[in-house]
Amino acid sequence: MLRVGGLHKRYGDTVALDGVDVAIDAGEICGLLGPNGAGKTTLVSIVAGLRSADAGTVTIDGVDALRDGRRARRRLGMVPQDIGIYPTLTVRQNLTVFGELADVRGPLLRRRLTEVADALELGPMLDRAVRELSGGEKRRVHTAVALLHRPALLLLDEPTTGVDVGTRARLLDAVRALAAEGAAICYSTHYLPEVEALGASVAIIDHGRVIARGTLAELVAAHGRPAVDVVIDGEVPEHPPFVGEAAVERHADRLRIVGTDAAGHIAAVLTAVGPRANVRRIELVSVSLEGVFLALTGRRFEIEEDGDGTRP
Amino acid sequence: MALARSAAIARSELRILRRDPSFVIVMIVMPLAIMAFTKGAFRAALVASGLTDANGAEQAVPGTAVLFGLFLVGNIGFTMFREHGWNTWERLRASWAHPAEILAGKVAVPLAISALQLAVLFGLGGGLLGLRVRGSMGGLVVVAAAFGLSLAGLGLALMSLCRSVMQLNAISNLAGVMLSGLGGAITPLSTLPSWARRIAPATPSYWAMRGFRDAISPTGSFGPAAVSALVLLGFAAVCAAIGLARFRIDEAKVGWA
Repeated sequence: MLRVGGLHKRYGDTVALDGVDVAIDAGEICGLLGPNGAGKTTLVSIVAGLRSADAGTVTIDGVDALRDGRRARRRLGMVPQDIGIYPTLTVRQNLTVFGELADVRGPLLRRRLTEVADALELGPMLDRAVRELSGGEKRRVHTAVALLHRPALLLLDEPTTGVDVGTRARLLDAVRALAAEGAAICYSTHYLPEVEALGASVAIIDHGRVIARGTLAELVAAHGRPAVDVVIDGEVPEHPPFVGEAAVERHADRLRIVGTDAAGHIAAVLTAVGPRANVRRIELVSVSLEGVFLALTGRRFEIEEDGDGTRP
Repeated sequence: MALARSAAIARSELRILRRDPSFVIVMIVMPLAIMAFTKGAFRAALVASGLTDANGAEQAVPGTAVLFGLFLVGNIGFTMFREHGWNTWERLRASWAHPAEILAGKVAVPLAISALQLAVLFGLGGGLLGLRVRGSMGGLVVVAAAFGLSLAGLGLALMSLCRSVMQLNAISNLAGVMLSGLGGAITPLSTLPSWARRIAPATPSYWAMRGFRDAISPTGSFGPAAVSALVLLGFAAVCAAIGLARFRIDEAKVGWA
């Protein structure tokens, strides 16, 4: 459904995209993962026709999106990062105007409006002004706008920023349902557990390049490294960077032993730190997407807190 | 171009306006009050200039209508800047609507407000202030329509040229007062200094006032009013061309500050 090839974009001296290749099939959810500034929003914006590309190709359902943006946009729905709905209008009026702009009118519009409202539990608030809604409710309306015309490709850019647990669950359910109907989903986020919860395939983007692409299982198998954490009270002592075949990383409150036989080296690490450290506990680190990211980039996946500190 | 999508945007604009119509109310009530206050003063000025049977409404009504019509010029820009402030502009851009459909929808409601304003001011000017259209009612309608279109063109140009809503606010207000003054809308043209009278024909307000005068005056007729209307349409076309040539759909506008 979506084919992106060799996409380049610069902002002055800053390289935002440096030859991005990614493909998403119909019915597939692709989690576009990367830290802030990795190039996710630029990629999504170019696919949506909101920004131009310096080089490369973008086709949506066979339509060249860079040359024939209007025709390509007929196949996509876009959920921008910032909430963009009319605050003085009601939820119904917001959905109506954007539905009509997608040529969804009359009885079809009424039916779709009901379906989308049901999916995102907007029914009771359809006739309330958006400015009266909570942040999570606004976020649901913001997402609903992009679903009305049942796009073949749905682009979501950080769709759960600042939402509560319930809203997050509803949004993820709606995304899964749309994919089950055959839509291709590009789900940009820097929140790893959402990608795992969606069962999405993953494209990890860093410094404007896709550095890994595959299903979660494939990436974990290829890049995941078993690890054991030795959690320490007080100052974490210095430790040689390797013990046998395993690497030892020093973090704020722990030493992480990383390697295929990480557990087999616990005793050696404890002996090395000796009485200098007050070991609180030992944790087995499950092989996860975060571990994959760490293995690929050499750094932890940083999740930025929202302004109100509600980021889970 | 699909009129249905422009109509969807126009309906949305109308709904937003209905939620807070204070701007439109002020733009109609305030000129009515000013017309009532200034009619007497204008009567004296018009009589002194030789129009012995003038009652003052001949200047007060069209002059105030032109002045407050020009204050509507910023409205087109405000509807666009509002989209940036509400983060809905990118949504519109990502929609199926062509930029021309978006612009058409955006211009439609301010045009309708302009038509409503002129209709109410001239209607109540006749009913309450004794304005008599003795030249050509058709001429009055044609000039009013052309004036409304020239305001829309000017609005498009200002929207394209301004980067922030504060710029738009300042420039549209300044332009409203300057153009009204130069065009003879605030005071009769005959009372302006000679330099102002010389450059007055370069303003749409001059042609609007001249057209309205030809339509209202007992010695006027449709022909001269239509000439003024044509000039106003020329202003509309030039301003719209500037606006469209300068319009960048991906330009970042500063919505609220």
